[in-house]
Amino acid sequence: MKLTTSALALTALLGTTAYAAAECADPIKVGVLHSLSGTMAISETTLKDTMELLIAKQNEAGGLLDCQIEAVVVDPASDWPLFAEKARELLTVNEVDVIFGSWTSVSRKSALPVLEELNGLMFYPVQYEGEESSKNVFYTGAAPNQQAIPATDYFLEELGVEKFALLGTDYVYPRTTNNILEAYLKDKGISEEDIFVNYTPFGHSDWATIVADVVALGADGKQVGVISTINGDANIGFYKELAAAGVSADDIPVVAFSVGEEELSGLDTSDLVGHLAAWNYFQSAETDANAQWVSAWKDAMGEERVTNDPMEAHYIGFNMWVNAVTQAGTTEVDAVREAMYGQEFPNLTGGTAVMLPNHHLAKPVLIGEITADGQFDIVSQTAEVPGDAWTDFLPDSKVLTSDWKELGCGMYNTETKTCVQLTSNY
Amino acid sequence: MIRLLVLALALYLTAPPAGFAQSLQDVLQTHRDEVLKPGRRSVGIVLDDLVASGLPQALPFLEAWRDREIVQRDSDGLFFRARKQSLYDLDTGEVIGVFEKNNLTASRPNGGVRRAIANALVQFQMSDPDIVKRRAAVDAVARSMDASQLEPLAASIDAEADAALKARKSRLVSMLRALFEDTTNARVEAINTLAGDLSVDVRAVLNKVLASEAGVAAKLPDNENIARVLEVGEDITAENAYAWLVEAELAPPLVSNAQIRDALLTNINSGMVGTLPVAALNTEAARALAYDQLAAEGLAPPRVKEAERANAIAEHVFYLAYTEPDPAITDAAQKALTAIETKVALSQTVDLGLDALSLASIYFLAAIGLAITFGVMGVINMAHGEFIMMGAYTGFVVQQFVPDYTVSIVVALPLAFAITFAAGVLMERLVIRHLYQRPLETLLATFGISIALQQLAKNIFGTQARPLTSPEWLDGALAFNDVIAISYIRIAIFALALMFLALILFVLKRTRLGLEVRAVTQNPGMAASMGINPDRINMLTFGLGSGIAGIAGVAIGLYAKVTSEMGADYIVQSFMTVVVGGVGNVWGTLAGASMIGFLQKGIEWLYPSNTLAAQTYMILFIILFIQFRPKGIVALKGRAAAD
Amino acid sequence: MRKTFLMQNPSVLWFISLLAVFTIAVTLMSEATGVSLISTSFIKTLGKTLCLCLVAIAMDVVWGYCGILSLGHFAFFGIGGYAIGMWLMYARTETIVAQSLASQPIPPTSQEISDAIGNQIFGVVGSSEFPMIWAFADNLFLQLLMVVLVPGLLALVFGWLAFRSRVTGVYLSILTQAMTLALALYLFQNDSGLRGNNGLSGLQNIPGFEDTSQATISIVFFMASALALGAGYVFFAWIVSGKMGSVVKGIRDNEARVRFLGYHVESYKLFIFTTTAVVAAISGALYYPQAGIINPGEIAPIASIYLAVWVAIGGRGRLYGAVIGAAFVSLLSSWFTGGGAPDINLGFYTIQWTDWWLVLLGLSFVAVTLFFPKGIGGLFDYLVRKQP
Repeated sequence: MKLTTSALALTALLGTTAYAAAECADPIKVGVLHSLSGTMAISETTLKDTMELLIAKQNEAGGLLDCQIEAVVVDPASDWPLFAEKARELLTVNEVDVIFGSWTSVSRKSALPVLEELNGLMFYPVQYEGEESSKNVFYTGAAPNQQAIPATDYFLEELGVEKFALLGTDYVYPRTTNNILEAYLKDKGISEEDIFVNYTPFGHSDWATIVADVVALGADGKQVGVISTINGDANIGFYKELAAAGVSADDIPVVAFSVGEEELSGLDTSDLVGHLAAWNYFQSAETDANAQWVSAWKDAMGEERVTNDPMEAHYIGFNMWVNAVTQAGTTEVDAVREAMYGQEFPNLTGGTAVMLPNHHLAKPVLIGEITADGQFDIVSQTAEVPGDAWTDFLPDSKVLTSDWKELGCGMYNTETKTCVQLTSNY
Repeated sequence: MIRLLVLALALYLTAPPAGFAQSLQDVLQTHRDEVLKPGRRSVGIVLDDLVASGLPQALPFLEAWRDREIVQRDSDGLFFRARKQSLYDLDTGEVIGVFEKNNLTASRPNGGVRRAIANALVQFQMSDPDIVKRRAAVDAVARSMDASQLEPLAASIDAEADAALKARKSRLVSMLRALFEDTTNARVEAINTLAGDLSVDVRAVLNKVLASEAGVAAKLPDNENIARVLEVGEDITAENAYAWLVEAELAPPLVSNAQIRDALLTNINSGMVGTLPVAALNTEAARALAYDQLAAEGLAPPRVKEAERANAIAEHVFYLAYTEPDPAITDAAQKALTAIETKVALSQTVDLGLDALSLASIYFLAAIGLAITFGVMGVINMAHGEFIMMGAYTGFVVQQFVPDYTVSIVVALPLAFAITFAAGVLMERLVIRHLYQRPLETLLATFGISIALQQLAKNIFGTQARPLTSPEWLDGALAFNDVIAISYIRIAIFALALMFLALILFVLKRTRLGLEVRAVTQNPGMAASMGINPDRINMLTFGLGSGIAGIAGVAIGLYAKVTSEMGADYIVQSFMTVVVGGVGNVWGTLAGASMIGFLQKGIEWLYPSNTLAAQTYMILFIILFIQFRPKGIVALKGRAAAD
Repeated sequence: MRKTFLMQNPSVLWFISLLAVFTIAVTLMSEATGVSLISTSFIKTLGKTLCLCLVAIAMDVVWGYCGILSLGHFAFFGIGGYAIGMWLMYARTETIVAQSLASQPIPPTSQEISDAIGNQIFGVVGSSEFPMIWAFADNLFLQLLMVVLVPGLLALVFGWLAFRSRVTGVYLSILTQAMTLALALYLFQNDSGLRGNNGLSGLQNIPGFEDTSQATISIVFFMASALALGAGYVFFAWIVSGKMGSVVKGIRDNEARVRFLGYHVESYKLFIFTTTAVVAAISGALYYPQAGIINPGEIAPIASIYLAVWVAIGGRGRLYGAVIGAAFVSLLSSWFTGGGAPDINLGFYTIQWTDWWLVLLGLSFVAVTLFFPKGIGGLFDYLVRKQP
């Protein structure tokens, strides 16, 4: 399978290059900075395929500014310093007009100084911990208030959860998200004793004790819910142990922020029916645009492949960028950035995504229950929620705001009315 | 609502619904939006109306709604039940058309709503002839623990035919009585029947009875049921104590540094605050001085001095008071809970022990192949982890061809052994054979094989984790009581580990092959002159060690995950297991695995919120252990001990 | 003395001359001089490669000359990087914070400054308190001292414990591997105070040189790395050539015999282990400002194994072998994974090197250990012997 797909992608790529050279003196180049090897290849290869599909479709539709778009794919190999190196290479050697890339926060933070130094432009498609707004990055994934907070509200309102277990892999996204959630839950009147926090290493597999601890939380008669920021492979062992311990979604619901259709394909989901995930997109969303996208994806990649949230983020990001370039009439970074603000594009889940001046999107938040076939039943969909770069629930970032259009600053202190810094916090 | 439900129940049981002009569809149409998009807090009114309508078809509707079979036709907003590609009318139950996805919108009640529906269904299902429905009803009662359900539950006990369910029902009744019975005596009696029950829900009930609130007053109030008095400095910190005082408005709030700063900011007068120039305000002492001046002028609330704070704390008493006013009830509950908690603590220790045992058996299984190749033959095989991975992928591939999980595991285990045995023999013949005199270089060469195999697995199976599903009889957990439980898959791994321990001991100590293996490892030249073929023995031993790694791979894949990197997770751990235990001895490996497993669980217990720290400290401990006992727990003596 | 040392070791002279020519040539062709034949990103790659060569030399001395297969020397490399990274982050953040606080109506207290810096640095990992280990981060000199002291002390204590207990051979390898694993796991924790998985980033921005272009900074670091490599080469060549070198090689070949000759083997091993650890740390301190980011993944056990592999492929027991191995494998590796190598179409299957490079690399280790135990450096012996 992999064989044919790679070959397909390759021919698509070669075809594009040849075509572009014939038409256009200065072809438009799009850099794709996703790991194709190493630990993150599992997630990021899909996004590289997404970008190639999007670019091929755009070229079929006539390209951009009368030019064909050429994809420049590099492999940072899940090696964080390589993200900086490859970003520099893309911007200075390949001279790309825009980069779509990164998955983990640390890889983004690695590429950030280079992007800011060389005034590049990157679209970052993954849900993340927020607390950042770079002039040179558009964040098309969810900020905490577009995923974690609505999911927690759902737990409080709809499931009546009174006691929370925040389980996460030990790295920045879970740490920051859990800090925000702890502060948020305390605001909502949940006392400190009712919040249990645990961090495990990447790829953790011995979950028996932790699951037993979570079950034991119910001993004081409160409804327990688990908010999971467990990353990647570790989820498999976790859900297997949950199933073995007979923990059903009715007893202790689990909502996950890092488990999507891709992750579930490594699991037998029959024992997990009813557990939840919060995203801005599910493959099961019932709209015409989504049906088209899913079938285009399956046609290109194979019937058993699934779509997921970061793919939609790239879908929106790429289309917005195309529209912004068309509007600006150039691919020059500053002009495109100006044109990006207020840019609108229909979501695959219905409604319209809007690019805000803080470089985040306004997107709806969806909560889905896992079904037996590895998909999600959407049980809740909000209106578009504007992404907030600096969370309102931590005292230090409460006073900060980002507005590149009016204030020209990504880290503006509203109390002292000064711009803390123009570069980002990396 | 409760009265309504009881009334409706009576009506439902006695009167035919003919007298009602209303149809179910009418009721639903009055709550059209709520039926389509129900919410936990707002669905109650729909359920009340449905029950109040007394319609017999409301019951199947509620069940269908819970099971997500209710759809709305977009054209006219009418609701139907969709089942197996057909649409059913809700009132008549007849098929009225085919299910067409495009012009129908499904109603998807979420978990909270489904729980509310299940609660509404309790009334009707508690005495249902179908035991599945009765169980569902009891589950719903156990989840909601609502006072209104005491009566129907108690009423249904006598008629309950199933013994297990009957016991559960009476237990539930005791729990509800302990919470909601009217008289003190009845509640105490109910509480006493709960004593000795370890389950989480009983503890939940007792803890609910014992719920307490913190309070502070000048002297201990007489009119409250005091749980205990808190000592400042022991039970609560002075900071918290003072914060309580402030909250109860018994003391003025502290002035924070930020507040001092804000006060100074608002009182800047031509570059001066009070008598101090702004530029001098760059220390906390200077700011405090300036603030005190402002406070003296009445421009800001005065700072609370340390002595005042200590005084305020000393003058008050801090306590916890039960929300339940009757001390007889709280005493009984406290007694019951204390007894239970002692047992729970004991059980938790045993449970932790079981977890540790299980972890030790996993480490042992992962390391036992190494115990042979490294421990007995002295070959460092960095590709050992990849043999584990190969075994796991074998299991995955077998499951692609053999859909029955039991059969597939039975096929996969020997097949994994055969494949990794062959791979091991191949590797020994091609590479390791040439490096017996250079152990450090074996390390490098096998590491090369390891990364090549890992990448090959990625190229073949992709980077995504692959499912390896255990057969159904290994699902679930063996529960000794409500605290001590261990999943069957872990028991199976434990049994497998024991089996291999026995097998290897048998092979090494009791068979011709074992004798020859030991002879060749101790002195290959001498062994060769006695007519043993060292090449053949080395080949077979290495194959055996690798084959066992393959079987371990299937087992580990069943309980955790199958990825190309799974081997790398176990390799360092496995080497340490063998080294800690003492090289050259299978018992040593067992001792090493047990020590690491128990140690890790012990440290995890000390650091419940940070598993990573537990792993770090465990490795540090191992490093130190080896420094002080380089030959491991079970050290070989004599000539065999030489490097 | 010096003359005889160089006379005895013509390879040192050769190496230094080649390195000098290479450094000057690259500098002249860089963007900093305006010629721009070599891009800044490639200068950075070259500079980093020189640092890797230096740590490979250290590895060669400890393994190829002294026979200790340490699978933990990359841990020292990483500690060096962390130590310098702490100062780089602190100083850069301090500048930013000072600017932003300066515009406020009342001057900040030292506590406020420290809080603001802490919040900037640790805000991303959800904390703002400065851990103890950052005590010296505000002082470049002290922190540079840390680059040498921390790994030096760690190596000293670890080595003393291990050599005293006569832990040797593969046991020592596994023990050193456990050490680097423990260190990596420790750093992965957010509570370690070094920003957990995120590590320290933005290290390419040197405080005080905000307005200097990366082209210039990269060439300065490149030259510094070349200088360090040259100095390190001469230093180690001197160590392994004298009487001490003979003892050390003796320990490698037969430790017991050297001990019976009356040498205190443990002291020699400890000296070599600690010295090489310090050199590894220095090369790390030069490497990470060029890489821009350091995080715990850098010191995972696999990195140290790769280090051993470079030395093995280059040729153990000869310093230039280590340099060749490190440069050759790391540059080749980035060429293959960077998509530089053309795909090979076999008709029925296309070999994409991003997928197959690691397979090739793995198999080549096997080939080198089996067939060319002297590595690439062995070729030189062959050539030298051919000459009349």
